Amino acid sequence: MATISFRSLMLFSAVLRLFFIIYGEWQDTHMEVRYTDVDYLVFSDAAALMALGKSPYKRSTYRYSPLIAFLLIPNALIHRTWGKILFSVSDLLVGYFIRTILKLRGVPENLCTYSVMVWLLNPFTFTIGTRGNCEPIVCAMVLWIIICLMNGNLLHAAFWYGLVVHLRIYPIIYAFPIILTLDQSHFQSGKKPILTDWSSSKIQSTNGSGSIKITDPCHIWVSLKSMFTRGRLLFGLISAAVFFFCTGFFFYLYAWEFLHEALLYHLTRTDPRHNFSIYFYHIYLHYEHEFALSEKLISFLPQVTVQLVLIWRFAQDLPFCFFLQTLAFVAFNKVITAQYFVWFFCLLPLVLPWTNMKLKWEGWACILFWIGAQSHWLMWGYLLEFNGKHVFMQLWMASLLFLAANTYVMVTFILRHTSSPVFKRLEHGLSNIPTKID
Amino acid sequence: HFTGIQQFKLQLSLRLVIALYFFAGIGWCKHASTINEVGSCNSNFNDSNPSSSVNEFITEAYFEKHASLIDSDFRGFISKEIPLEFCEVLQDKLEPVPKLSISHRHLIGEGSHRHLSSSIRLEIQPSSKFTLPAHFCDAILVERLPSGVFADPFELQHLLQRGVFTSAAFFGDTNLELPSVRSNRSIVEIHMDIGPDILSGNNNGMEINIEVPLHARYAPLGEHGFSRIEFSAPDLFTGCSFEGKSHKQSCIFLSTNKSLELKAGAVVWDVPCGIKEHTGIVSVVTFFSAIVSALLVVFTAFRYSDTTGCNNLKQM
Repeated sequence: MATISFRSLMLFSAVLRLFFIIYGEWQDTHMEVRYTDVDYLVFSDAAALMALGKSPYKRSTYRYSPLIAFLLIPNALIHRTWGKILFSVSDLLVGYFIRTILKLRGVPENLCTYSVMVWLLNPFTFTIGTRGNCEPIVCAMVLWIIICLMNGNLLHAAFWYGLVVHLRIYPIIYAFPIILTLDQSHFQSGKKPILTDWSSSKIQSTNGSGSIKITDPCHIWVSLKSMFTRGRLLFGLISAAVFFFCTGFFFYLYAWEFLHEALLYHLTRTDPRHNFSIYFYHIYLHYEHEFALSEKLISFLPQVTVQLVLIWRFAQDLPFCFFLQTLAFVAFNKVITAQYFVWFFCLLPLVLPWTNMKLKWEGWACILFWIGAQSHWLMWGYLLEFNGKHVFMQLWMASLLFLAANTYVMVTFILRHTSSPVFKRLEHGLSNIPTKID
Repeated sequence: HFTGIQQFKLQLSLRLVIALYFFAGIGWCKHASTINEVGSCNSNFNDSNPSSSVNEFITEAYFEKHASLIDSDFRGFISKEIPLEFCEVLQDKLEPVPKLSISHRHLIGEGSHRHLSSSIRLEIQPSSKFTLPAHFCDAILVERLPSGVFADPFELQHLLQRGVFTSAAFFGDTNLELPSVRSNRSIVEIHMDIGPDILSGNNNGMEINIEVPLHARYAPLGEHGFSRIEFSAPDLFTGCSFEGKSHKQSCIFLSTNKSLELKAGAVVWDVPCGIKEHTGIVSVVTFFSAIVSALLVVFTAFRYSDTTGCNNLKQM
């Protein structure tokens, strides 16, 4: 019965996305305001240029890897909705991968299904793919990397990790927790890693002994000594090789245009135009002169500090670490656009089975605070952009409230989380079922 | 449960899809030259509808000789270079040319995205009717956009595809994201078909309306919260194509010899701008908020660590 329920959920989700793709075509044709995201038009134009053998960067504001344009070449050759279908299929794949990860850890079927519903039936999620945003592809790749790690396929995980960092730079923040997870006690040659079961982690929580004592000084020293394990070296070398190969190949094809638009732009981006970030007004007010080094460092410090502390504390609980890191990365970033939210939405279902937060009323408090703060910001943004009112101060204060909402969500999740390292320690000398790490 | 066989099948399927995609893409790219151009957008774009009378663009000719838009240079260019491509067929018959004038001009909409609407009236003096070979004419509107306002070339191309304009050209700063302190001016040239045999007086007294979609950049900081942008009068031309003795000729000539005087006055756009006085308080509160939020998260993570540590001690 539960299996049919998941199938029904996937079928319903697929039909829902198909409906919105068709509806989007109708709205684009008949209404002044398009359903399709502006970015999709950028992708399509870049893909059309690529189909003609030209550089996709001839299309201004195309700031992505050429791979995205390559994937959308059928937009120009077959039908313009090809890309939306591809993104929606990736969207469904994310749902499938979420279930896969949860089942690997022995999460009960009903809890799996509810968690998957958080992604598949999230209005934000299914509109983002059907409007033509490419983030579902990145989300699917991140989850696939987690699956590969959980199955001990280090080479695959490394390959896809190098590729996803090439596509979207932000997954670089996952490098440290992945490296820390590839501990010799978890990954040994010829042995499949053992995963912590959901039910056992719940029992350990009751006894209050769920976390690994990574604060133990002796443990830190041992960790430092054993830092350069075969698994870590392999993962680092292969992912770096894939990333630099892609970068080098596209630099050969498209030269500095590619490097600047697809890479450097994102690393140095400071957008003075209004966005969810608390920094937008500060950047606008200072745009006529260069920022001092101290100003750049001060704005960088909170982000780096939070990332390092979260990695140090939660690296062994990989999905939870990814979720918190992504949420923090977005919240403290200098530019925040709505599409960034998908980056942590895809990881949220992976942490829900381990939270002690009840929907009533802590869960509802998080949801309402977060959505309320966002809606509040959107209201002032509308007044500024579409009504021409001078509301810069109010909009900036709304962005402060949004940061407060993000902080509240992070703090609540941390306090209500049942620590559950993904991998158990392998005992030396015991022979497990041999599985190649490839 | 996700078995090893199922995982292998999924991996194999993914690899096959990627391989098929890759080889299909290589195959298509090799035959790319046979595919019609779709949606190509250069930095300075111009696009003509096949039915357009005049395929030359005044702004293109201007930018072949000048690196940037300067009003005095453009006025000098017009006075020297127009009529463009002197037409033998019109020799001794250029005066009086049809008179184009702006009857009404205003901004439509609110906020940062508006339309600049210009109503163009066409008048031909009855005494000027004369016999000419068959011809088709366009009214040409050249908007020299002030600093702080830009047109989206892709939006213009979309309107062109929908047949709103006969043809259009855009030159200048195509970076749509920069604030006005870091951007350059741009220029839009719109061609609208005004029908056949216009110089013979068949369509005297007609009026056409052109709406150009415009967007405001982030204005320079001010004291009072709004920055005023003023639009100068547009330049109007008539461009006609004739069947010459040996080939088709096209001519472009200025509708009037001096700047148009608008009855309604200059068009102005008040754009919200940041206030310099806010700089100090915004910077301090921004960094303070970021630091406080970061400390809250850090403290909670440490506290979570301490709590589980205490529980371990109790168990011992």
